[in-house]
Amino acid sequence: MKKILENKKLYQLLIILFMLVFPFLVGNSGYFMSLFVTACIFIISAMALNLLVGYGGQISVGQAGFLSAGGYAVAILSHKFGLPIWILLPLAGVITGIISLVIGLPAVRLRGHFLAVATMGFGLSIPQIALNWESLTRGYNGISVMRPQWLSGDLAFFYVIVGTTLVIAWIISNIVKSGMGRAFVAIRDSEIAAQSTGIHVAFYKTMMFVISAFFTGIAGGLYAYWFGYVSPQDFNILTSLLILGMVVVGGLASIPGAVIGAVLFTLIPHFTDKFIGMTNIIIGIAIILIIMYRSEGIVSFLDRLKSPEQDDQVKGGV
Amino acid sequence: MLNFENVVVQFAGLTAINDLSFDVSEGKIHSIIGPNGAGKTTVFNCISRFYTPNQGSITFSGKDLLKLKPHQVIREGIARSFQNVELFSKMTVMDNLLTGLHPILKRNIFFISLNLPSVRRSEAESRKKAYEVMELLGVRHLANEKVSNLSFGYQKMVDIGRAMMVNPKLLLLDEPVAGMNPVETDQISELILRLKNEMNYTILLIEHDMSLVMKVSDDVTVMNFGQKIAEGTPGEVQNNPVVIEAYLGELDSDVKAD
Amino acid sequence: MQIIVSGLIIGFVYGLAALGLVLIYKTTDIVNFAQGEMAMVTTFMSFVFLTQLGMPYFVSFLLALIFASLFGIAVYQMIMKRVQDSPPLNQMVLTLGLFLVINGIAGLIWGYHPRSYPEAIAGDPYQIGTVFITLNEIFMVGLTFILMLFFFLNFRYAKIGLAMRASSQDTVAAELMGIKVSHVFMSAWAIGSVLGGVAGIMTAPFIFLNTTMMMDVLILAFAGAVIGGFVSLPGAVIGGVIVGVYENLVSYYIAPELKMVYTFILIIVILYVRPQGILGGPKFVKKV
Repeated sequence: MKKILENKKLYQLLIILFMLVFPFLVGNSGYFMSLFVTACIFIISAMALNLLVGYGGQISVGQAGFLSAGGYAVAILSHKFGLPIWILLPLAGVITGIISLVIGLPAVRLRGHFLAVATMGFGLSIPQIALNWESLTRGYNGISVMRPQWLSGDLAFFYVIVGTTLVIAWIISNIVKSGMGRAFVAIRDSEIAAQSTGIHVAFYKTMMFVISAFFTGIAGGLYAYWFGYVSPQDFNILTSLLILGMVVVGGLASIPGAVIGAVLFTLIPHFTDKFIGMTNIIIGIAIILIIMYRSEGIVSFLDRLKSPEQDDQVKGGV
Repeated sequence: MLNFENVVVQFAGLTAINDLSFDVSEGKIHSIIGPNGAGKTTVFNCISRFYTPNQGSITFSGKDLLKLKPHQVIREGIARSFQNVELFSKMTVMDNLLTGLHPILKRNIFFISLNLPSVRRSEAESRKKAYEVMELLGVRHLANEKVSNLSFGYQKMVDIGRAMMVNPKLLLLDEPVAGMNPVETDQISELILRLKNEMNYTILLIEHDMSLVMKVSDDVTVMNFGQKIAEGTPGEVQNNPVVIEAYLGELDSDVKAD
Repeated sequence: MQIIVSGLIIGFVYGLAALGLVLIYKTTDIVNFAQGEMAMVTTFMSFVFLTQLGMPYFVSFLLALIFASLFGIAVYQMIMKRVQDSPPLNQMVLTLGLFLVINGIAGLIWGYHPRSYPEAIAGDPYQIGTVFITLNEIFMVGLTFILMLFFFLNFRYAKIGLAMRASSQDTVAAELMGIKVSHVFMSAWAIGSVLGGVAGIMTAPFIFLNTTMMMDVLILAFAGAVIGGFVSLPGAVIGGVIVGVYENLVSYYIAPELKMVYTFILIIVILYVRPQGILGGPKFVKKV
C-alpha cells in the first residue's frame, strides 16, 4: 500500500483505470453510474473551490451559484442555438466565469467574513434569479436538456464526464504548479510581499474567482447533460457548504485532498439521506472534527503513510 | 539613481517623515541609520508604494515613482526585503525564490493550463536561477524546506534571495542582519559587497548593526524623528556630534568603532 | 409610509440578531455563521415550552432565553474554545459546520413543516396617522431598544464591557491583568445566543416557525452587521434597521421573491463604496 502511494504515477494510473472500468463493475447500473457522475461533478467543483480557498486563501460560500449558472447556460444555449457540446461546455464555463465577476470584482476589497457573507449572498441570489426570470429560465418549471445524438447513451456520456474530469484535474494541477499557482499562494500567505514581487493582487484575486467559476460552471453543465434537466432548486446553500466541507475535510491546497473530500461527501449522503437531516449532521460533524483536531485534512493522514515528497508541492493547509 | 525630494509622510496627525531629501547614487551602497521609530522603514514603504507621501517627490532614474502601484515597482528594477521577513510561510525555499521571478514569468493562462513546452522551459530556467541564488546565500541544502521551519537567520537570507532573483537595479534591504549571529552577519556583508562589485547592484540599506554599516557603506544618511539629521561617508557620520547625541538614548552595545 | 414603518420594526429585530453576531465577533474575533440556526433552536424550545409543557408565553420566553444562554455556553466550551487561536478561515468554516449540524439535528427532531407561532402581545393594529401598528410590534421595538441600550452601555462603560474589549484586543495581556478571558468569551457567546433567540422568537409569528426560518434572517442579519461595519454595536442595529426597511421596500415595489438578490446587491454596493461599513473604523494598513 505504501509503495503504491509513493509511486504517484502508479496510483494515478490505477485511479484512472478504476474510473474507466467502473460501469462494468456495477453492471451498468443507472443508479451507481449516477452516483459516480455526481462524485465527478463534485470532484471538479471541489478542485475549483480549492484553487480559491486552499491556494488563494479566499473564501466562497456560494459555489452552488456557479453550478446553477453553468447548468442553465448549457440548458438555455442548447435550446436556443443548438450548439455542439464541445463548444457548449466550455462556453458555459466562460459564461459562468463572466457572471462570477459580479462577486469576483468586489472580492478584491473584501476579506474574511465580509467576503463570506458576500459570496453567500451571491449563492442565494442565483436560484432566486433562476426562479423569477421566467422568460429566460422558465422559472419553476426548469428546462430539459438533451444530449447530442451520438452521446445519448448513458455509457457514452459517462466517459465524457470521466474524461472531462480527468482533463480538468490535469489542467488544475498544471495551474497549481505554475507561476500562477504560486501567485495565488503568495497572495494567501502575504499580500504585501506578493505585491513587492510584482503580483497584481487585485487582478489575481479576481482571476481566482473567474477560474474557479469557469470550472464549476462546466461541472454544472455536465450535471445538466447527465440528468437531462435543470431547475432552480438543484443547487442551494447546503450544496455550497457541502463543497466547502469537501475542500476543508479532504485537505486544503491539495488536489488529492479535494478528490477525497468530494468522493467522501458524495458517498455519505447516499447512506444518510434516508433520515431527514442526518446528512447535514454527519457532514457538519466531519467538518467540526477535522477543524478541531486535524486541520490539514484527511489527506494528511495519507501523507503520513508516504515518505516526504520528492517534488516541490506547494502545500497549503491551515 | 533614487531621489527623495522634500518628502512628507503623515498618518492621522503623526508625522512619520518630515521634509526628507536624499539621493542614492548608482552603483553605490547607501545606508539609512537612526534610532527606532526614526521613519526608516516608512521610507522603504514609500518606495514600495505602500504609502503615498503627503508632499514631495520620489524619482527613480528620472521616473516618477509616485505614479506607480505597489506591484509595478519591481518592474522598474526595485526589489526589497522586509524587516519582519514577509516570506510565503507555507511555501518551500525554492517556491519563495521562484515567486521572486514573477515579473518575468509567462502569464498566459492557456499556456499554463496545458503545460506547454515554453512554460516548462521557463520553469526550468527559473529553477536554475533559484539554485544559483541559493548557492550565493549558502542555503542550497534547504531548497525544499518549508520556510516556516527555518531559523530566523535563514529566513532573512531567503527574503533577500527572493529580492535578488530579478537582478534588480536597486535592492532595498531592511535590517538584513537583524537576528543573525556574527558568522551569518559576515556572510551577508560579503554578499552585499559582492552584489555591488560583481553585479553592479545599487543597494539601499536600513540597519542597526553599526559594524555592517561602517564596513559596506559608501554613503550614510542618518534619520531621527522623521528627519535627516546628518549625511556623509561612514567616517564623517560616525564622528558627527549630532548623530552621537541621537544615539545616546539608545544603549547600542554593538557599536564598534572602525 | 406603512412599508417603511413595518420595515423599521422588523429591521429592529434583524438588528438584534446582528447585535448578537457583532458582540461575539467584537469579543472573541469569531464570526458565528451558526447564529441563525442557534436562534432557530431557541425559538423551537420556546415553542416546546409553550405547547408541550403548556406554559404561559412569557415564562416560555424566559425559559427559552435561559436555554439559549446555556446553548451558547455549551457551544463555546465544547467547540469554539478549542479553536480560539486557529486562523479565521478555520473558525468560520467551523461555525459553518456547526450550522449544518444544528440544522440537521433540528430537522431530525422537528421535521421541515411550518408551524404557526404566537405573538408576544396579541391584538389588533392601532392606527397612527396613515400607519397601522400592533402592540406586539411596539413591544418588539421597545425590547430591542432596551436590549441594545443595555448592551451598548455595558460594553462602553461597565467592567464586563471593558473586560470584553480588552480580551478581544489582546488575550495574553488581559489574562495578565487578571481577566479570566475564557469567562468573558463564554459570556459573549451566551449573550449572543440570547440575542439571537429573542430575534427568532420575535420573527417567528411573521415567518412561521420552521427549521429553515432563520436562513434568510441570518443573511439579512449579516447584511445589517456588515453595513454597520461589524465592529460597532449600535452600527449593527442601525444596519439591521436599514436592511429591514430596504427589504420591505424591495418586496413592495419590485418583487418579494427577489429579496435576496437585492440584499446581495446592497451588500456589494455598500462594501464596495465603504469596505469597512458605515460605522466601521478607518481601513487598516499593516505595518511592515
